[in-house]
Amino acid sequence: MVIFSLGIIRGIVGQIVGTAVGLILVTLIRLLMGLPAWKAEPAMIIGALIGAVGFMIGVGALSDWFKWMGGKETPMHHGPPTDKPAWTRYFSVDYNHKVIGVQYAVTGILLVLVAGSLALIFRTELAQTGLQYIEAATFNTLFGMHGIVMIAGILLGVGGMINYLVPLMIGASDMAFPRLNAFGFWINVPGAILVISALFMGGWDTGWTGYPPLSVLAPMGVQAFMLGVYLVGISSIVGSANTLVTVAKMRAPGMSWFRMPIFVWAAVATSIIQLTATQLIGLSFLMVTVERVLGMGFFNPVLTAHAIEVGSPPGNVVLFQHLFWFYSHPAVYVFILPGLGIISELLPVFARKPLFGYKWIALSSLAIALVGFLVWAHHMFTAGMEPFLRIPFQFATMLVAVPTGVKFFSWVGTIWRGKLEFPTPMLFVLGAISVFLIGGLTGPPNGTVTTDLYLHDTYWIVGHFHATMFGGFIFPFFAALYYWFPKATGRMYNERLGKLHFWLILPGFWVQSLGQIAVGLLGMRRRIADYDPALGIQNGHVWITVAGYVIGLSVLVMIYNLAWSARKGPVAAANPWRSRSPEFQIPSPIPEHSYAEAFVITGEPYDYGLPGATYVAMNPSAAPAAAD
Amino acid sequence: MKHLLGVSALIAAITLAAWAWLGTGFDKLLPIRASEESFYVDRLLGMQFYVIAFLFALIIGFMLYSFIVFRRRPGDDGDGDHFHGNTTLEVVWTVVPLGVVLYFAVLGTGYLSDITSPETDELVVEVTGSQWNWRFDYPEYGISSAELFLPVNRQTVLELTSIDVIHSFWVPEFRVKQDAVPGMVHPLRITPTETGAYVVRCAEICGLDHSYMLADVSVMETADFDAWLQSQMAPPTGGLAEVGAELAQVNGCLGCHSIDGSENTGPTWLGIYGEEVYLADGSEIIIDDAYLRASIIDPGSQIVAGFENVSMPANFGAVLSDADLDALVAYIASLGKDKE
Amino acid sequence: MSASAISQAEYEQQESANRLGLWLFFASEAFMFAGLLVARFYLWGDTRPHLDQAVALIITAVLLLSSYSMNRAEVMIAHDDRKGFLNSLLITAALGVVFLIGVIGFEWQGHIRPTDGAFGAVLYGMTGMHALHVVSGIVFIFIVWNNGRKGHYSADRHWGVHACAVWWHYIDLVWVFFYPALYLIGTAQ
Ligand code: HEA
Ligand code: HEA
Ligand code: HEC
Ligand code: CUA
Ligand SMILES: [Cu+2]
Repeated sequence: MVIFSLGIIRGIVGQIVGTAVGLILVTLIRLLMGLPAWKAEPAMIIGALIGAVGFMIGVGALSDWFKWMGGKETPMHHGPPTDKPAWTRYFSVDYNHKVIGVQYAVTGILLVLVAGSLALIFRTELAQTGLQYIEAATFNTLFGMHGIVMIAGILLGVGGMINYLVPLMIGASDMAFPRLNAFGFWINVPGAILVISALFMGGWDTGWTGYPPLSVLAPMGVQAFMLGVYLVGISSIVGSANTLVTVAKMRAPGMSWFRMPIFVWAAVATSIIQLTATQLIGLSFLMVTVERVLGMGFFNPVLTAHAIEVGSPPGNVVLFQHLFWFYSHPAVYVFILPGLGIISELLPVFARKPLFGYKWIALSSLAIALVGFLVWAHHMFTAGMEPFLRIPFQFATMLVAVPTGVKFFSWVGTIWRGKLEFPTPMLFVLGAISVFLIGGLTGPPNGTVTTDLYLHDTYWIVGHFHATMFGGFIFPFFAALYYWFPKATGRMYNERLGKLHFWLILPGFWVQSLGQIAVGLLGMRRRIADYDPALGIQNGHVWITVAGYVIGLSVLVMIYNLAWSARKGPVAAANPWRSRSPEFQIPSPIPEHSYAEAFVITGEPYDYGLPGATYVAMNPSAAPAAAD
Repeated sequence: MKHLLGVSALIAAITLAAWAWLGTGFDKLLPIRASEESFYVDRLLGMQFYVIAFLFALIIGFMLYSFIVFRRRPGDDGDGDHFHGNTTLEVVWTVVPLGVVLYFAVLGTGYLSDITSPETDELVVEVTGSQWNWRFDYPEYGISSAELFLPVNRQTVLELTSIDVIHSFWVPEFRVKQDAVPGMVHPLRITPTETGAYVVRCAEICGLDHSYMLADVSVMETADFDAWLQSQMAPPTGGLAEVGAELAQVNGCLGCHSIDGSENTGPTWLGIYGEEVYLADGSEIIIDDAYLRASIIDPGSQIVAGFENVSMPANFGAVLSDADLDALVAYIASLGKDKE
Repeated sequence: MSASAISQAEYEQQESANRLGLWLFFASEAFMFAGLLVARFYLWGDTRPHLDQAVALIITAVLLLSSYSMNRAEVMIAHDDRKGFLNSLLITAALGVVFLIGVIGFEWQGHIRPTDGAFGAVLYGMTGMHALHVVSGIVFIFIVWNNGRKGHYSADRHWGVHACAVWWHYIDLVWVFFYPALYLIGTAQ
């Protein structure tokens, strides 16, 4: 059958078969052990894991490695498949980083659509007090699902930008480990399928944070959610290792660390976080899993009789929060650092000026990443850890404002006295700065314990993080989509639709986040299906809901625009933005092997306005020897 | 220089407008202040709002100005001024914000110690959260209550704990909140300053009915509070079943179990005594005293068919005495068939 | 990467990338193991359960010994001693199996059960996670052994052997931290 030539279809079949094998296996084992044959949860866990392996085998992401294990050689195929239409490569394992980047980005957008639709459902419910359309249990599942699917969507979007751009920007032919790269993308698919399947396993009611003991008591959906996140986490780890090796080993001659395009710095800082911290969310979810199925009481404060007999101390629910936030705080910087990198990357192009304070911006990414490791407990100011510990975490948290501020001020320095032009990507960049600013500035009040005791778990926090994530990821990501669209497809998007998208989403966002902040200050708690009309926040909720729909509409405009333009848009020039970056010195769309010949870096990346300054010397033999 | 003057004027205008608005509007952004702590919280938050307004104006001012003044004229495709940076500036905008945030961190530390330090003569109230109920015990007086009564202008230390999952005690008008964590006791100190009626709103997701995990709070004059204490300390009148009814109220049983046969999270109590009931494992059982007791202290052991996906807090045994159990069983029995 | 199709320079370049990648992966895993150690100290504080010290000492010794034989294997392939190389691999795997038997067959049969509060959770969590890695190491060894048998490694091209060896040493090193945390630090209850 033709359809089975698509890797993704084979993968899904593999996942179904694998899951069935897992279910049967557990049932058989239980029969052999003389237990009641059917127990849903262990069967589901093993089924999910074997299903994920089944997917990876089916899609073909493991084939080469299996051959290596057998000692066979596996030459790498480049270019579109020879026996099938070219578009099929996007639905199958392909080792070209540009294809993988597109796969990441498109999957990310799909997840954002799913998660956004869920938000619109529960926002509709919240437009009025009382419960009209959905039950409390459904509501609880929806916001958790919205949160985690959005986060998965962001991680994929980040993966998309990094995979597509980093090798191009440093002049590498591909990522250092193309097979690992494909693996890293595809493992997300069974992961996402699992997370979403939680909807059909009773959902769960803990939100994306999955705090025990609630997550230990919750319906089985929580298990699907955690396993799904685990798989997505594997992707983060292998992807970041790949990125770091690529940047360390494969830069073009002459590209010293401080001559890399600034986005690459952001990718490095992001990867450091992803490589290390991700393990901790995996561990924390694993601990919940074994507590659920094996009764291992990491987080259970109640001891069994036998445990008392052996003198064991009880489990501790706060431990989970430490492990969880040790990842999940740094993770928020994973969401934004690439986005801030995009901002720094595009501003000089559209201001026709050098990036102000290149080194400061580059190092501030690292500083944010590193300080970000020291602040996790600011999510736990009310959680009941040692009271005095709140003080050092308060200080550390406040410090993050400093490197972030450096970025803002440097951006201002970059546009100051420039010659600004405002095509869609630039609008999104400026929008991103304004949006991220309000998100960032609402951070320090959460960081001081005294005020956080009020703000914690209110919609103020919800407003804070939507603003940071829209400003730090959604807006820059959209900017990047428009900006590199001509390089990826060879065609231009429609500028008027692009502007329409922007002028819908910007006010939509402002109303949504300011609305959330306002109702939060008045006492609106997070994660509630119904609220007290006495708080006087009904109008606010109507505004937020309407704004949510406007944002949704604007995203549909973008999708229409990009889908249409990819086929029918005007043919794009090689360098529509007059950029100095290497990927703009080659034709659009970028050829299969990006750079026909290796290039040499002979100057500073952002010397706009300096006559005669070169950055990329495409013809190395003719170029002067690289400096420093 | 001309540009710098222009942008400064713009920033000053936005900042002053925002400050003027904050000056009158800040109080409307928040609920009323009803505890000593709320004044500290609002003061710090207010100061932060002023700084935020300025910083926002600063960046946005520069952006708006550039957006208008430095926009490219039609037909001009030259480049902007060529400069790479300025180390003095970078140092300034690293060090100044550093000073600002450190200032707030130090200030915040002081405020935190102000609002958490104990006074002598505190009133102790033990607060126990359970899905989806708050229970208040006054250990000095041997009183339990489903509503929180507090004397005005006296510091109360709430000793928070939970018997099942994490909850969080929060009265917006008092500002501060603290999680109630199973297996631990955490203090939260509050000195109410305004008499009146408030609501405790559970602020940590705790399952199905988290939205409705509320409890009434009454802040009273000291004399009224003492009168309330006296009325509560009188020995209970009425029979065992009435004591049980009271206990069912205080412990939040009625949040999940109806007594009129209507559907709820748990099975109804109406007319179940003496009846046969199917359990999830397929067996059938007659509801008697022993079964009821077992169901209360170890609900996981015998799960009623149809309720496999919800659970009753497993730890009521820790807060209910033997006498309490007798009373509860008597109460459930009193809801027997004849009332159908 | 295929061993014969590319030049030695390319091979070495690929190997240096591989090596960096492997070490980054170690750094990543280190965070997970550190998380388990943190859980140990958070939950157990300065107590620990009564465990069989003799078994622990023996399996620790066995594991350390296996690192030595693993090192021998790598040295031997570098000197083109194919036979010794294969045998050393088998010895290493066998020692790994002995270690596993010690953990699962003896330590896990003691009086502490997985459901025994923090003692059970941490003990089985840490040893279980480590055992899982030992299993992965043994599987890796067998893959390398199988390829070695078919003559796939040479004195100057044996990245697979090297990766397997460092992985094995790494797992050993983790145990060097786990062993005192579980068996030595704190007073036994
Ligand atoms: C992209 C994501 C992102 C980003 C970038 C941030 C950035 C910051 N966050 Fe946010 N945060 C989240 C996502 C993010 N956050 C999420 C998802 C949650 C909720 C999780 C959950 O519970 O579900 C959360 C919750 C959260 C809390 C916990 C609140 C609670 O639950 O009670 C805290 C507490 O300290 C906090 C603080 C901060 C701070 C100080 C920053 C700083 O990095 C901000 C720094 C930036 C600026 C300050 C602005 C620019 C700076 C200047 C212009 C310089 C001058 C500034 C000063 C002098 C102040 N955040
Ligand atoms: C990137 C991250 C991200 C983004 C973009 C959003 C976008 C939105 N969020 Fe989300 N949100 C989170 C991350 C994000 N959120 C997180 C992490 C949480 C915390 C969860 C938790 O507490 O556990 C949260 C929680 C959260 C809450 C609090 C819930 C609660 O505590 O009870 C609310 C309430 O207003 C909300 C609203 C919205 C709305 C209206 C949008 C809108 O902007 C959405 C706009 C809509 C779309 C983008 C969809 C467009 C698609 C269509 C119109 C249909 C087409 C559909 C298909 C083709 C399938 N979100
Ligand atoms: C969070 C919800 C919840 C609360 C609070 C709760 N229960 Fe339950 N209860 C349940 C559920 C669900 C069941 C059915 C599952 C089971 O049998 O364990 C149940 C079952 C029971 C049964 C068995 C009923 C039958 O029909 O067989 C009794 C008796 C009972 N509860 C008593 C109590 C008492 C007494 C309290 C308060 C001290 C209480 N419950 C509080 C949810 C709750
Ligand atoms: Cu209790 Cu929410
Ligand atoms: Cu954080």
